Amino acid sequence: MAAKPGAASTTYSPIDPTNKTRPSIFTGSDVDWLRPDSRAFQQCRPAFFRTGAVNSAAGSAYAEFGNTKVIVSVFGPRESKKAMMYSDIGRLNCNVSYTTFAAPVRGQGSDHKEFSSMLHKALEGVIIVETFPKTTVDVFALVLESGGSDLPVVVSCASLALADAGIMMYDLVASVSVSCLGKNLLIDPVLEEESYQDGSLMIACMPSRYEVTQLTVTGEWSTSKFNEAMQLCLDASAKLGEIMRSCLKEAASATQE
Amino acid sequence: MVGLSEGEKEFIKGGIAQDLRSDGRKRHTYRPIYVETGVIPQANGSARVRLGATDVIASVKGELGKPSSLQPDKGKVAIFVDCSPTAAPMFEGRGGEDLSAELSGALQRCLLGSKSGAGAGIDLSSLVVVEGKVCWDLYIDGLVVSADGNVLDALGAAIKAALSNTGIPRVNVAAGAANDDQPEVDISDEEFLQFDTSGVPVIVTLTKVGKHYIVDATSEEESQMSSAVSISINRQGHICGMTKRGGLGLDPSVILDMVSVANFVSRQLFDKLDSEISAAEADEDES
Repeated sequence: MAAKPGAASTTYSPIDPTNKTRPSIFTGSDVDWLRPDSRAFQQCRPAFFRTGAVNSAAGSAYAEFGNTKVIVSVFGPRESKKAMMYSDIGRLNCNVSYTTFAAPVRGQGSDHKEFSSMLHKALEGVIIVETFPKTTVDVFALVLESGGSDLPVVVSCASLALADAGIMMYDLVASVSVSCLGKNLLIDPVLEEESYQDGSLMIACMPSRYEVTQLTVTGEWSTSKFNEAMQLCLDASAKLGEIMRSCLKEAASATQE
Repeated sequence: MVGLSEGEKEFIKGGIAQDLRSDGRKRHTYRPIYVETGVIPQANGSARVRLGATDVIASVKGELGKPSSLQPDKGKVAIFVDCSPTAAPMFEGRGGEDLSAELSGALQRCLLGSKSGAGAGIDLSSLVVVEGKVCWDLYIDGLVVSADGNVLDALGAAIKAALSNTGIPRVNVAAGAANDDQPEVDISDEEFLQFDTSGVPVIVTLTKVGKHYIVDATSEEESQMSSAVSISINRQGHICGMTKRGGLGLDPSVILDMVSVANFVSRQLFDKLDSEISAAEADEDES
């Protein structure tokens, strides 16, 4: 379950905070959930990141987590629209859209209208807006294929694209979500697991500063379960932050050659 | 948006640090809550909640519809919030759309639970009439009439009051209908079933200003916030939904502390709301 030490691994799995082995069979009539891609409950999908995916944008990144594929472009800082009031700090404008072929059923990405404002909230605490007054930075995210855990992948990819564009930030933002099925906590759920989930918790955090920038919880959680899930997410985000950082370093060293 | 001078900003922040806010409240005290039910006669249930200067109205209307094929034994609920231009001139036209979408999303998350229906504050299986064929579609609409901070908490309270005021008409299904056809239904005008709202959670928004969190911020206090978290808690003390409402990053220990504060505050809020709702219903019965 843990990533191999030493190797530049692309899988990230948090350490089980309770140090207990999870029971594989429930008491009662609950059926044990077998993950479709045969991962362990606390194992995340292999993460793939590439910056510089879009040439015409100031910065861009492509992320692929299993079947979830997202591309984000960042434009700016550009002149704000004339209708906007003068502002001595910069503005951030986010937009998340789904392609029509992203979902298994064509055109079904419509219940994700709030993703744009959630991406905005996840990023607004991280970008140093005082460095680009009077201008706007536009972040456009496009989900090419929706394979579960879409918003966390969009947030992580967007922060990489912002770094690629050279926008000043306090830290990268890594984002992970956890699904609750019965008594199990599954990290990085796929689409099928998300449709059966009893609750979900999504965290976007800055790994080095250990601060949470965005947090959403659905479903019923007791405080102890919430605590456990949050620790799981923070741990996974720290490891995801490492992977993102190594991706940026690779890109930088490649351009230097 | 309020314009505040530097002196006023310092006054607000300093007051919160000393547990004495501008209107004399302590950090964890709510403004006086007034609840009226049955304000919209054409709706199945409605309520108006006033929290200081924040004024919201919630209405519940039910229509018969077909349950979704994925969940044939459950009814459907849709929550939508509209920010009226009477609250602020910037809400005119499409200006209020962002705030409306954010509030609708947060309320849906808190009251309807996850996609599989678990953890929902409203018991959806009580809305089904004929399994797989006929169910009640509840449309819960919130209207923000006047906004002076903490609109989400007021909307949560209004929806709770509106649901306890809701009467679902009894439906008589014609017997002997063929299996594939839509059964004939007769909606009774007289008999009503009251909704069970013991499982409906309340929403507590904690606003962090400086190092302390306050409950029920006015719009002046909200303009000075560093971040805010809205937590929805039910009677058993479980978290039914949580959203961070923007701003700077928060340390995870702060979030856990906020959850325990919200737990503590929600118990008082539940008692206050229940007594207000029953008083409002009693008033309505008399008039």
